[in-house]
Parts: sequence; C-alpha cells; structure tokens
Amino acid sequence: MMGAIELPSHTEQPPEVRERFRRLKARPVILEVKKLVKAFETPHGTLCALDGVSLEAHRREFLCVIGPSGCGKSTLARILAGLEDSTSGEVLLDGAPIRGPGPDRGMVFQAYTLFPWLTVLRNVMFGLEVTEACSRDQAEREARQWIELVGLKRFTDSYPHQLSGGMKQRVAIARALANRPRILLMDEPFGALDAQTRSQMQAYLLQIWKAVDVTIVFITHDLEEAVYLADRILVLDAHPGRIRELVEVPVPRPRRPEHFVSPSFLATRKHLEELIHPGSYDHNELPMIRMTQVGDDVE
Amino acid sequence: MPQRVPWFRLNRELPHKRRLILSFLSFVLPLASWCIISYVPFVWHPMRKITDPGDVTWISRDQLVDGDAFETANAQARSQGRKEASGTPANPVFLPAPHEVARALFTGFTTRPPRPEEPWLHQSLWHSITVIFWGFFASSVIGVPLGVLCGALPAMARLNEPFIEFFRYLPAPAFGALAVAVLGIHDPPKIAIIFIGTFFQQVLVIANTTRRVDPALLEAAQTLGASRRQLLFRVVVPGVITDIYTDMRILLGWAWTYLIVAELIGVSSGITYFINQQAKYRNYDKVFASIFLIGLIGFFSDVFLAALGRRLFPWARTARGSWMGTVARIFRGKREAETRERAAEEDVAPA
Repeated sequence: MMGAIELPSHTEQPPEVRERFRRLKARPVILEVKKLVKAFETPHGTLCALDGVSLEAHRREFLCVIGPSGCGKSTLARILAGLEDSTSGEVLLDGAPIRGPGPDRGMVFQAYTLFPWLTVLRNVMFGLEVTEACSRDQAEREARQWIELVGLKRFTDSYPHQLSGGMKQRVAIARALANRPRILLMDEPFGALDAQTRSQMQAYLLQIWKAVDVTIVFITHDLEEAVYLADRILVLDAHPGRIRELVEVPVPRPRRPEHFVSPSFLATRKHLEELIHPGSYDHNELPMIRMTQVGDDVE
Repeated sequence: MPQRVPWFRLNRELPHKRRLILSFLSFVLPLASWCIISYVPFVWHPMRKITDPGDVTWISRDQLVDGDAFETANAQARSQGRKEASGTPANPVFLPAPHEVARALFTGFTTRPPRPEEPWLHQSLWHSITVIFWGFFASSVIGVPLGVLCGALPAMARLNEPFIEFFRYLPAPAFGALAVAVLGIHDPPKIAIIFIGTFFQQVLVIANTTRRVDPALLEAAQTLGASRRQLLFRVVVPGVITDIYTDMRILLGWAWTYLIVAELIGVSSGITYFINQQAKYRNYDKVFASIFLIGLIGFFSDVFLAALGRRLFPWARTARGSWMGTVARIFRGKREAETRERAAEEDVAPA
C-alpha cells in the first residue's frame, strides 16, 4: 500500500528545514555524552545495555531516542538523570560532568510520579521548595504560571487522584520545568495513555516547548511520535546498545497533525522502520501448527 | 427482566445496598442466635429454675438445678408418694439473656460498688483507658520513628531488626514478675507490659510499611533536587503516613488484648479487676456487660480514628475498613464524581 506512493528520500530537506538545522547546530552544545558504556552483570554473563554511545544535544533541541525494546534507551535516560551510574564514559552538562541527580535535569517518567499527598500547586512547587531557589511566595507565583501554561488552572488545588492520566503528565511536565532545568528528560511519558490523549499530549508538549527555553531528550518506542516531535532522532540498536544512526527530521516546523501524512514524514517513518525492524516482514510469520480441525472452506 | 446477580462472587465488590444489608446482618445474626438460645425454652436450657420445691428437701425456691438431677429427685419423690418439685427450664448462670446484660450495662454505671473502697464501673474503665493510652503512647513515641528509620535506611534495619525480631517472640506477660520487681505493683508495670507487647511488633510492622514507599516517587523527588534528608521527610514520611495510620489502628487493637493480662499483674485494677470481682459474685450479666463495653470502646474508637484519618489525609481516596467508611463515602461520593467528570471534560476540550 505504502509502496504505491513515491516517497522522497528522508535526507532531502526543504530549504527552510536546512536553514533551521544550520541555526540549531550553531547553538551551543548543552549536553555532551562521550563513549557511554553501561554493563549489567547477570547470571548468564555481562549484558551490555549501552556500548559506546556518544551524542551531542544543542540548546533548545528536541532529541528523540528510539530503538527496539532492550536497546537501553531507558537506561540512557536514567544515566543522564543521574539515577544510575555508567560503567564508563562521561556525561557533560554545559561542559561540566554530572554527578548524581539534580534539578538541572528535569525528568518525566512513564509511571505517574506525582506526589499523591500534595495538590497540583504543591506538586509543582516541590522542586522550588526543596532547592530553596526562591522564596515561598515567589515559588507559588511561579508554580501558578506553570500550571496555567499547561492549561490546568482550574485544577490548581485538586489532588492527583482527581486528575486523568493526561492531566497528571501535564502536571509532571510543569513540575519538572518549574526548576528551570537545562534539559528535560522524558522516558516514554505518554506510553501509558490512550491513543487520543497521547496525540493531544504530543501537541501540548510542542506548544510548551515553544514557550520554554529547554532542551528535550525524549525516549519513545513510537516511531510516529518521534518523527512528529523531534528535530533529530537517535536510533539505537539492541544487544549491545549502540547508535545506529542519527536522523535529521526533514519535516518543517511548526508541526501539525496533517504532517502525519506528508511525504517527508512518511519517508522518515519508513526509514526508521527499516532501521529498527530490518526485513521484519520476512520473519514475522509464526510457525503455525494446526491445532483444530478447520475445514479448508473456512479460510 | 433484570439479570439476577449472584451474592457470592470472587473479587467483586457488592452493590451498595447489599453491602449495607450484610454489615447489618454481621451484627444481627450473632445477636439473634444469642436470643434464640436465651428465650426459646426448648433450645438448650439444661437447668431448672425452681418455682416450688415441693417435698424435695435439698431444693429451695429460685434455686438453679441441673436438669438431670431435677428429674432424678422428682422420680424419687414420685416413687415415695411425696410432692414433686416444679421449675421452668433455664440456662446456666454464666449465660445471661440479652436483656439482662443490657440492663446490667445501663445499671452498671449507676450501681454503687458492694464495698466502699472498690471503684465504680466507670472508674475501672477509665483506669484501663489511661493505662492503655500511656502504654501505647510510650511505645509509639519510640516505635514509629524507629520503624520509619528502619524502613527507610537499610543500615538501621540491619542494626535493629534482628534483635527486635527475636524479642517479639518473647511473650509480653512473661515479663510480668520482672516488671513488678522493677517498677512496683501499681500502674507502671502494667504500662510496661503493654509497651513490651506493642513496641516490637510496631517497629517491624511500620518498617515493612515504610519499605513499601513507591521508589518512583523517590526518583522523581531526586530529579527535582531533593536531598537525602528531604527525601525522608518530604517523600518517605508523607508517602507512607496513611498506611502507618492504618497500622496504628490495628496495633491499638492488639494493645487492648495485652491490657487484660497487664491488669492482672501486681495490684489487679481496671476493667479486668471489675470483671473478676463480678465473676466472684456470680454477676455474669455484669461480666458480659463489661466485656461488651471493651468491645464497644474498641469499635467506636476505631470508627472515630477512621473518620479522623479521612480528615487528616484528604488525598487518600479509598477509606479502608469499617462500614462507617461506607457511610462517609455516600456523602462524599457525589462531590468526587463531579470533580472527576470535570476532569474528563477538561481532557477532551483543547486547553
């Protein structure tokens, strides 16, 4: 079906996209990952989740990381957040190596991690309170602005259990951004949402990102999500987790839902699919044994 | 025709009306059986209450006589041509009827104790409550923080839990004689027994509860810049406090069981003393009334604590436990449904 449409190469960039990438790469590098290795000891030997991963993210870049399951993309996010140590290699934020978790790297998890005992307002204020970045009044004022930015003003005093999944993730985004982090790490943040809410959240996220000076590293396994959101897409291989390719998305911004069917979008998507599931269509036939007596006429 | 829903289904919450009916029955059924045993003459009633002793010499009026002995004596009287005794079927003295216990419950507070130096019922009861309060309070002041620390810090758990695990197998009443020797014969040894009975369980239970804090919340707090100290006080403690509160309610129930043993130590006192005294006088209606009083106090203090818990922890959506929780949910339910509806609307409409 797809083959019927003549797709351009995913490397073909319209002039405005090429200009965008030129400006993007001229911006300073915020995040630098050098030869990152993460090995786990298992009863069956050493498992290499990440094997020599290096990358650079520029200021205000939207970088997506995709790959087959088990490629270590979540591990990468956790190492960047400081929640896990790497076996070797270096992570530099603004040129300085990171040490442990910190408010300069916000994180949004797939599981809803709002504090159930705090209202939306207090959840968003949490980071400002623990880091004592500003006075309480100031923290509250800023938190209210963030809540307004993610469109939840009416729920300022609600508790998390009163919110839907999509709203919880919006609060989580506001909470992470309130600390004014240099980068925002998102580990499959919309993975638990239904399809409709998810596409809505993708649109929200782009709007929020437009209003905030932050670099986003977004982990996902959803190819369309990656193409829709990202400037560049880092494709990882599994076992061991190595960089397969760094794809520059040729779809112009601002992105809109109708881009989902544009030729450049489809071309990029197809390319990613080939990278992640090479020749998968040959292998995905199960060795079916007939377990029941089905007449040939049933087919 | 509406579908018939079976009453007994695995893992399915019952419709509201049925829940109420069953909660009601859980009290009514035992009470009903008690009434049947007490008031239906041909059920059990092994004794005879003598209305007229006749010519049987060893029986007197109003005496309770064993049924078989009564028949034998009458058979003897018959054969000797003397007048038979007559009596009505009755239960043994240790099983008073519900109305007798109810009466004892009401009159218990108004009846002067048989000897002037003995305490009134309400004084005994109050004495018991103070003993249990101080025992539980002393245990909690140390046990709760220690339990939380053991749950949060593996080093603390390793240091404390093996010994506590060992100590909790030592039966608290076994320390009675020791407690009296060290603390005297009045209230302090009783408080100590309740302390010993509660404390070691408390530390372990609370440590286990604390360990169940969602690790994802700890990670989220870390990425927001929380220090170790802040993780403990701003994430671990509020994260488990509702569960600890529930634990405390259960532990308080245990403390009541130790109370009865504790009050026998040294100078017997409190409600246990009252029960023992009344048993000596064979006032079993009062014995039952006192036991019920303990049950009522336990039950209503738990209902009160459950209600207080919902006030203290408004974020805990599911109020666990008693049927009073169900009642409270009826009134809250409407408001919550509205909020959730609003949330659903908001999510569909673009921001």
